[in-house]
Amino acid sequence: MVKKKVPDWLNSSLWSTTPSASSSSTATTDTNIFDHHSPTTASPPLESPINPPLPPAAIRDEQQQQPPRHHHPQKPEIKDKLSKSSIVDDDDNNNSIINDNYSDDNIINNKIIITNNDIRNVDDDESAAEDISKQALLLTELSKKVINMGELRRIASQGIPDGAGIRSTVWKLLLGYLAPDRSLWSSELAKKRSQYKHFKEDLLMNPSEIARRLEKTTVLNNDNGKSESRCVLSRSEITHGEHPLSLGKSSVWNQFFQDSEIIEQIDRDVKRTHPDLHFFSGDSSLAKSNQEALRNILTVFAKLNPGIRYVQGMNEILAPLFYIFKNDPDEEMAAFAEADTFFCFVELLSGFRDHFCQQLDNSVVGIRSTITRLSQLLKEHDEELWRHLEITTKVNPQFYAFRWITLLLTQEFNFADSLHIWDTLLSDPEGPQETLLRVCCAMLILIRRRLLAGDFTSILKLLQNYPPTNISHMLYVANKLRGQPSR
Amino acid sequence: MVLVLALGDLHIPHRAPDLPAKFKSMLVPGKIQHVICTGNLSIKEVHDYLKTLCPDLHITRGEYDEDTRYPETKTLTIGQFKLGLCHGHQVVPWGDLDSLAMLQRQLDVDILVTGHTHQFTAYKHEGGVVINPGSATGAYSNITYDANPSFVLMDIDGLRVVVYVYELIDGEVKVDKIDFKKTTATTHSAH
Repeated sequence: MVKKKVPDWLNSSLWSTTPSASSSSTATTDTNIFDHHSPTTASPPLESPINPPLPPAAIRDEQQQQPPRHHHPQKPEIKDKLSKSSIVDDDDNNNSIINDNYSDDNIINNKIIITNNDIRNVDDDESAAEDISKQALLLTELSKKVINMGELRRIASQGIPDGAGIRSTVWKLLLGYLAPDRSLWSSELAKKRSQYKHFKEDLLMNPSEIARRLEKTTVLNNDNGKSESRCVLSRSEITHGEHPLSLGKSSVWNQFFQDSEIIEQIDRDVKRTHPDLHFFSGDSSLAKSNQEALRNILTVFAKLNPGIRYVQGMNEILAPLFYIFKNDPDEEMAAFAEADTFFCFVELLSGFRDHFCQQLDNSVVGIRSTITRLSQLLKEHDEELWRHLEITTKVNPQFYAFRWITLLLTQEFNFADSLHIWDTLLSDPEGPQETLLRVCCAMLILIRRRLLAGDFTSILKLLQNYPPTNISHMLYVANKLRGQPSR
Repeated sequence: MVLVLALGDLHIPHRAPDLPAKFKSMLVPGKIQHVICTGNLSIKEVHDYLKTLCPDLHITRGEYDEDTRYPETKTLTIGQFKLGLCHGHQVVPWGDLDSLAMLQRQLDVDILVTGHTHQFTAYKHEGGVVINPGSATGAYSNITYDANPSFVLMDIDGLRVVVYVYELIDGEVKVDKIDFKKTTATTHSAH
């Protein structure tokens, strides 16, 4: 008999994805956990929407999801009451900003639900109301002259609503691309965008064009005027052995051919990015131009960073950034999405670069050490599960965590969910890596029942195809793991 | 930016055993998009070797070629340019610009590539440009013993062609280039 060190709150059946034995026991555990947030009684849903303070929003969301699952007979009723009461209450209680935006936001939210069907989660209907309040808070924060980054991070970590291009601006702020001081924005942006343009011009030119540019200074020979005459064509010397078959290291041509391998690799990966999204794949000219932009960004990055060049998977990290920035309703922002994405991509990758470098695999900063840290984190919070995975079934965390960590969980969830997760990752003041590890730990803990019951094959199957789960719930658990060793 | 390799008159195995080592080290697959060969390879093994450099290979028949199925002349369009290919032993006097110009007008091409003389030349006349890549192995010809191994690489980019001439002189590879532009874009003739 193993002495359980798992804390009570983790031990509740709340965290399992299979339906619990009795709904009454979950009701009591509900109260145990949540009583320090807001008074919840046997009929929690009716009371909480009346005064929606923002911090319990995540919990409220989850409560909306939880009761329908466990209190079966009341399910449709509660949902209806929730949506009706929350809309009614928002009208009454909210200030003028929300009232002004309300009709617009409702329309925007509805539009998003209808038009972006391929990514929007329909269950978000219920949280449309809290989206509106979040949106209002964010808009007020963003419209200040100097934005309070701490406040922004706090709100953003709850999740950013999908409408009104907020996410695009907030991510740019969180990644440090835009300064907190609004007045600097236009000059900074102009500078960065022209810098990117120069990068492209310098790095994406093929050698013929380079040779032509160099030659503009020398006079072209006598073809132009005398098209009638006969002559032997004059031969001119070439400089520095610059010919297409040159094998010299400094030759433009040689570099071009060496890079062509990487360019081919980038091309292949870009074509395979998100084949289910029309934005990225398919034959439309939109998809083609988006792929072209992705290709350019990755190529410029590879050429500017000869140490790391391009590694498979960078396209997956790039894709959500470009998607968000390109879909910004502000036309000027959307037009320069490629340049903005490049710098934000560089910033985002700077924390994770070492994961992509093969030589650093075994070092203190490499991917193996990060995976070990994840393992340690799991051991701290759920020793039974850790023991089961590491020792009993010998599931090496590299088998599942490698993809989770290097690709920042983009491959484990659908696109909309991964955007939500990224909101939380990017808004963490300690940096995305810490939150990432916590979220991964939460992912393991949430399905602990199934993991504990499984053997090597079934565990691996489960972890490599992570079952769909409530994202807000998962992020809440991840947040709870912050700084809390379960001794 | 299309790279076209033009070479010919290798006369392997009769007059030369192989391409010079320095040329061979430069000719690696993956860089060149088209290969045009004036003829006189002369055996299938050379054909296979050229095929490894690039799958798009065009050859015309030289008088010593063992494969009799190669055509006498060939024309192809690459980018904005029409190229014509012929071995050159059919055009008498050998290497004469006027006669070659006649052939060029007959084939209606901008650039005519011929061989047989084993000497590199590049002429320009009213109808276009005539290029002779010489002999890639430096084999002796009907007219002379002295032949430097040479071949030609053309970089076709829009309306402009840069011709890089590779010659092996005294054991060293010397590269020169020739630049020319076409004044009008190719239009398909009505007749």
